[in-house]
Amino acid sequence: MKELFSYAFHMLVFPGGVFALCLGLLLKGVDRKVLARMQRRVGPPILQPFFDIVKLGRKETILPASGHTPMFRFAPILGFMGMMVAAMVLPIPGVWNGAEGLGDMLMMLYLLPMPALALMLAGSSSSSPYGAIGASREMILMFAYEIPLLAVILAVAFKVGHATGGVAEFSFAKIVEYQLQNGSLIFDWTMFPAFLAFLMFIPGTLGSVPFDLAEAETEVLEGPLLEYSGPGLAMFHLGAALKMVVVMGLGVVMFFPGTIPGGWITNMGWFAVKCMLLMLFSVTLVRAAMGRLRTDQTFKFYLKYPATLAYVSLGLTYFIR
Amino acid sequence: MQIAEKLQSMAARSPWLYRINAGSCNGCDVELATTALIPRYDVERLGCKYCGSPKHADIVLITGPVTAAVKDKVLRVYNEIPDPKVTVAVGICPISGGVFRDSYSIPGPLDSIIPVDVNVPGCPPRPQAIIEGVAKALAIWKTRI
Ligand code: SF4
Repeated sequence: MKELFSYAFHMLVFPGGVFALCLGLLLKGVDRKVLARMQRRVGPPILQPFFDIVKLGRKETILPASGHTPMFRFAPILGFMGMMVAAMVLPIPGVWNGAEGLGDMLMMLYLLPMPALALMLAGSSSSSPYGAIGASREMILMFAYEIPLLAVILAVAFKVGHATGGVAEFSFAKIVEYQLQNGSLIFDWTMFPAFLAFLMFIPGTLGSVPFDLAEAETEVLEGPLLEYSGPGLAMFHLGAALKMVVVMGLGVVMFFPGTIPGGWITNMGWFAVKCMLLMLFSVTLVRAAMGRLRTDQTFKFYLKYPATLAYVSLGLTYFIR
Repeated sequence: MQIAEKLQSMAARSPWLYRINAGSCNGCDVELATTALIPRYDVERLGCKYCGSPKHADIVLITGPVTAAVKDKVLRVYNEIPDPKVTVAVGICPISGGVFRDSYSIPGPLDSIIPVDVNVPGCPPRPQAIIEGVAKALAIWKTRI
């Protein structure tokens, strides 16, 4: 019984739930503000995403008349819950050890595409042609960016596995522990290509500007989200905020999980700062500098550059022990 | 009670905009696009965001005199916007018909078809006037959410 409560607490309040949601919405707010400043605008207040969520929660829900209603209602919950669990699994260096399982990294690999799957369900159940186009684009995009991600994760796992005398290490806790003792992987030149590949993977998985084909406002009018209104839309936005935290957290854990002296509070702040820095370089800067790529260009891009870089790292970890 | 008020004031700071072109000559639409998109008149500082779907919208900006051909479509899109919503008529066209007044193809000014909350006259209105209209719509939006 006590264990059950502690699981519920961890999922709903501390590393999952409330904490991750607040951090995610804050990250989104910083992203919007910094983007506005880069374009020499004043920009919205940093807390704007919170206001948006509260407002969406108070609006009316309109269901599409010819859509598949149960699926339509279920899709946002699927993405949101998937990300809640992912946020609980992910360790925060110096604060929280994550799931401490043997293969939580593989579990993350299955949890990360949940919001994309939810978008696909949403698009195809909403009976809107724009939704269907958005869903098919999201699917293409997912096939493209999952390959570099897999290679990056394998590279990190093999690297840590070899160094600790095994074959591959798929436990986040062990990976963090290794890096805390031997220095972060980002300072290791064999892992640097993998880090670059991960940087390129981030905007694709978050659907931010050069790769926002699924929600392209100018062509498919936000695609799968087109038919959502009120709380359903809020749920999607919350899921996206959680995904922001999870993806940035994954980057921090895999490449630079160093801690700073002080208690868990300073380390939590340090984690947030690192997430924010990673976000500024991989999302905001890119978003301010680029326009959208076409679907085929995106697909080619992901299979050419990030995949190659990640395979280089994978090869190097194999040959240089 | 206090929490409810707090939530209401938070919600009131996030009005999303949606434009409907009801047969406008594009003059007003260009002004709308520039008011929103150029950094100088940034409306995002008010928390506004242009959205692609009527189902996400809170404040509707309607341009054009509502021609006979688009009347039903305007009504249909308007009904897709979830409540509560605020309507702003941009330009002299939706207010009175403007230069198209008394034409056989104009079924009447906008407020005979849907309720209008704010009028922004001008042909086309200046960006400052449009932003003032949005600010007035914001004040109304605060009382509705
Ligand atoms: S008000 Fe003037 S500029 Fe605007 S749509 Fe009418 S005629 Fe065009």
